[in-house]
Amino acid sequence: MTGGLNLLIALAMGLNLVALASSRLPSVIRAAATQGMVLGLLPLLLEQEFHWMVGLVSVGTVVVKGFVIPHLLRRALRAANIDREMEPLLGFIPSLLLGAGATIGAVALGGALPLRPEHANSLLVPGAFATVVCGFLLLMGRAKAISQVCGYLILENGIFLFGLLLIRTTPLIVEAGILLDLTVAVFVIGIIVDRIQREFDTLDTRKLTSLKE
Amino acid sequence: MTTAFDILLRLLLWLLLAPLVPGIINKVKAWVAGRRGPPVLQLYYDLAKLWRKGVVLSTAVSPGHIAGTAVAWMALVLAALLLPAGPAGAPLAFRGDALLFVYLLALARFCTALAALDTGSAFEGMGAAREVSYAVLGEAAIITALIALSLQTGSVSLTTMLAPAAGAGAALLAAGLFAVLLAENCRVPFDDPNTHLELTMIHEVMVLDHSGPPLAAVLHGASLKLLMFSVLLVQAVLPAGELSPLTAACALAGSVLAVAVGVGLVESLLARLAFRRVPLLLTTAFLLCLFAALVSWRGGHL
Amino acid sequence: MTPGWLLLVAGLGMLIGMVSAFRAKRVWLAATITSAVAALAAAAWVLKAGATWVGRTTLAIGGEPIHLQLDGLSAFFLALLALLGGAGSLYAMAYWTDQQHPVSATSGRAWWNVLLLNMGLVLIVANGLHFLIVWELFTVSAYFLITRERHRREVRAAGWLYLAASHAGTLCLFAFFACLAAHTGNWELGSMRERMELAPLFWLALAGFGLKAGLFPLHIWLPSAHANAPSHVSAILSGVAIKMGIYGLVRFSGWLPVPDLAGWVVAGLGVLSAVLGVAFALGQHDLKRLLAYHSVENIGIILIGLGFAMMAAANGHAAWGQLALAGGLLHVWNHGLFKALLFLGAGSVLHATGTREMSRLGGLWRSMPWTAGLFTLGAVAISGLPPLNGFVSEWLVFLGLFDALSARGATAGAAIPAAVLLGVTGALALACFVKVCGVVFLGLPRSKVAEQAHECGWPMRIPMIVLGTACVAIGLAPVLFWPAIVTASAAWQPFWSETAAPAPLLTLGAFHLVVAALAALAAFALWRRARHNGIRRTGTWDCGYAAPTPRMQYTAGSFAGIITGWFRWILRPERHARIPNEPFPAHAKFEEHTPETVLEHVIEPAGSLVMRVSTAVRRLQHGRLQAYILYLLIGLAALALVALMGGGK
Repeated sequence: MTGGLNLLIALAMGLNLVALASSRLPSVIRAAATQGMVLGLLPLLLEQEFHWMVGLVSVGTVVVKGFVIPHLLRRALRAANIDREMEPLLGFIPSLLLGAGATIGAVALGGALPLRPEHANSLLVPGAFATVVCGFLLLMGRAKAISQVCGYLILENGIFLFGLLLIRTTPLIVEAGILLDLTVAVFVIGIIVDRIQREFDTLDTRKLTSLKE
Repeated sequence: MTTAFDILLRLLLWLLLAPLVPGIINKVKAWVAGRRGPPVLQLYYDLAKLWRKGVVLSTAVSPGHIAGTAVAWMALVLAALLLPAGPAGAPLAFRGDALLFVYLLALARFCTALAALDTGSAFEGMGAAREVSYAVLGEAAIITALIALSLQTGSVSLTTMLAPAAGAGAALLAAGLFAVLLAENCRVPFDDPNTHLELTMIHEVMVLDHSGPPLAAVLHGASLKLLMFSVLLVQAVLPAGELSPLTAACALAGSVLAVAVGVGLVESLLARLAFRRVPLLLTTAFLLCLFAALVSWRGGHL
Repeated sequence: MTPGWLLLVAGLGMLIGMVSAFRAKRVWLAATITSAVAALAAAAWVLKAGATWVGRTTLAIGGEPIHLQLDGLSAFFLALLALLGGAGSLYAMAYWTDQQHPVSATSGRAWWNVLLLNMGLVLIVANGLHFLIVWELFTVSAYFLITRERHRREVRAAGWLYLAASHAGTLCLFAFFACLAAHTGNWELGSMRERMELAPLFWLALAGFGLKAGLFPLHIWLPSAHANAPSHVSAILSGVAIKMGIYGLVRFSGWLPVPDLAGWVVAGLGVLSAVLGVAFALGQHDLKRLLAYHSVENIGIILIGLGFAMMAAANGHAAWGQLALAGGLLHVWNHGLFKALLFLGAGSVLHATGTREMSRLGGLWRSMPWTAGLFTLGAVAISGLPPLNGFVSEWLVFLGLFDALSARGATAGAAIPAAVLLGVTGALALACFVKVCGVVFLGLPRSKVAEQAHECGWPMRIPMIVLGTACVAIGLAPVLFWPAIVTASAAWQPFWSETAAPAPLLTLGAFHLVVAALAALAAFALWRRARHNGIRRTGTWDCGYAAPTPRMQYTAGSFAGIITGWFRWILRPERHARIPNEPFPAHAKFEEHTPETVLEHVIEPAGSLVMRVSTAVRRLQHGRLQAYILYLLIGLAALALVALMGGGK
């Protein structure tokens, strides 16, 4: 069981790097969506016996992260007529190498932390760390609003992984709440994207500095 | 005496089989495109024809032009001596031969690039510059793959390193090595062996001014390199040492064929990358090998 | 003859040479070469016998009796010094002639002997005070050799930079030896591995010797000094003088205990030097400056070997450490040999064309076949390619790193990046030397001076042939040189006295022979086949362009452009371009220059900051008595305030 779990988490960690290396917006969206779906399957694997609540959250996560949010983002992409090329502030190779370094560092850190025995051999904690750091890298290193949303999504996936550590003690309601927040947030960003587009004719977040007065 | 004969025989086998691989790749490409394509043995005919043809040399070249081609060819042939071929093992095996293998390929690159610069052509200079630059990333990936295999087996000799399967990291290693294979042998998506547009090529543009027997040496060397990388890739993943000799030989031959078909499919289905994207893909190959190494380090489980 | 007598002959030969340098240059040459041969014989004796020669006299200098010692490690470096010193002397006769340099040639010969003598003494003195004296003499004599062409501004600047950096290093060494003497109570040097309280002194030694060795980021003085010195001086500076820093590090990390982190720091600096050294080299367009940056790279490779050997020693003398150390030490010899060969080759090019700018050269193989062939041999060696010596030492270091991998643990974690980056360094060095050989010697001449070049004479050719032969010998028969490495590494770490050569070394040598033989055979066969089929000559294929000129060839800058683009974050090239944009552009130009980043972006800003602060502080001292009294008053008031505040206690 740990094998299957670790394989899925490793896949998610790989998708972090895919997102960092992609040079086009749709592929970043696809990477974030796939990662969301992969992580959505995790609660099913983590629980010993099937519980309807877990099943519901799992299905909800897969649907929202894998289909609803990407659909919204793609619609925004179409509606705002955004150029699909990314504009990296940090080059693709440096971000890829940094992401890989963060992944290796996270695995080393996970080995050093005093974890509970049932988590010692799993990649949950390293995966969570790596995903959060890669999310931040994406947030810092890309200029366009949509790619910022993708960074935010990946960051949230990392937090979701942390949440799985506590799956027995915290009700999954919390996760459901996060999902709801996320959807709303993406809606809001979609509206903002639209507004920025109308106002400035561009989606470069660097231009937002001109709003300070 | 028997060992010398044995080595010679295996070397002959390598030399004879090598031109088959590009033939298979071209056949696959033709099938996918719906053409009949050249015969599988086309490269043999080409080599025989070139060997008999006269040479046109640039007025700018030094005597080192032909010598460089010859040394590059010999370096590749000798590298083949170090590579084990399934149950037969390697003709020559000693500790550290894996590194010698990598550096013999580097020697071949050095000589080919110098022979290209010898003509004084701007195009060939461009090709040589690209070749040696992208090889830096390719070399990082190959050394990392060797590290992964060495962590797996605790050895620095290709025969022992390639005998067992690569463990849990096998998929990562195979993907990484396949990308390196494509890059080092100048296949799509890194380079297109079919175009003759000088500005966009790497390897082909370096040999623009070769002709006759030297060009035959270049072409044969390139096919030998392709065969060596396929064998290396296959054996890194396949547990050749744990199968019976006959099965291993069949599996090896089948897998090399599969790699050739895979290269053909990639060439048919993908377009060549823009040059600024090449380093990114090679870095990805390096990272795949690196993660394979780290998986081996963790004892083969994720 | 025992080593003692041989060393005496060597020393006397150097002194005779020093005296005769001004009047009789043939006597100078004979004396210097005799003394080099004697020193080489002494070193060979010690390396073969594995015994240590000790010479003590009651004669005292500075209150300390003279104590000389030639052990395996000293002899290892002395052999290199003797060979390169002898080769350089012969080269200098034809390269820096009295006709062309009437003033600087004679005194240059004398300073040359001072340099060689003092480097030899650095290797054999076993007294801290005397070490400092000969170290200083060696440093200063190198300064006078670097500034042979004092009328040129950049030479003077390079000399000053060298002198300042060297003295910063000497300062660290003063502190090192003074602390050592304070702890031990005398200036005597020798093994004191058990006195653990001496371990922190290693950092002082690392700074002092590291500056001399030119490891990154302490290399700031090296490129300009090596580029602006006469070529035989560049050869000895790059081949031997910076190795004195390595000698110091090896010597004192063997004699004194080292901190736990030392191996890690040394290996880390080694990796940094190796990769960045070659990256900077790729950005250069000055032939000798490029070679100088390659010294930084090779010092890095040596330090990777030494660092991992130190880690192994700290881990209980693991066997892989011996391999790494053997690789590092052999690379000291190898780098000395091929770098001297390359500098002498560059000198020959400079002599024939008068320029070091690679983009003005090209096609030199026609007029200078010997230089072209020997330089290419050196290029193959420095790129670490089989079958030459550079590969043997890199291979040994690699073997050490790979064996460290199977030991797992933290050192394996360090061995993975080190091995990968060592491989990257090799590939970058290859790219760099393809560029140099291709741009300088192949293709068509890019300028008039390159067209009218001439081959150097035999006095300049013979030293290059000797060095090239040595490169080939170590490459083809590495096993012959193994005992010397064992003797040297046993002097560093007495536990490592295993004398049997690792079996693969013999196989590697045999394989190298096969490579060389088959390569020659294939070249011959292909050439014959081509001749048999008939050769037709025509112009290079130029894609149908009607009027190709030599200036359209790929230049050094364009060749390295892809890689220097990857390293732009550290190279910080300066660009001046006028890009054509109108339909019929009249003028267009593009210039790119890679400065010494550490010097221009770190040291110089720091220096000017110190200057600004000092100038500001200087305003306080202006000679007006009234103000000084004011200062006194302020000082008193401050004291009173302190007393009031702290007085309650």
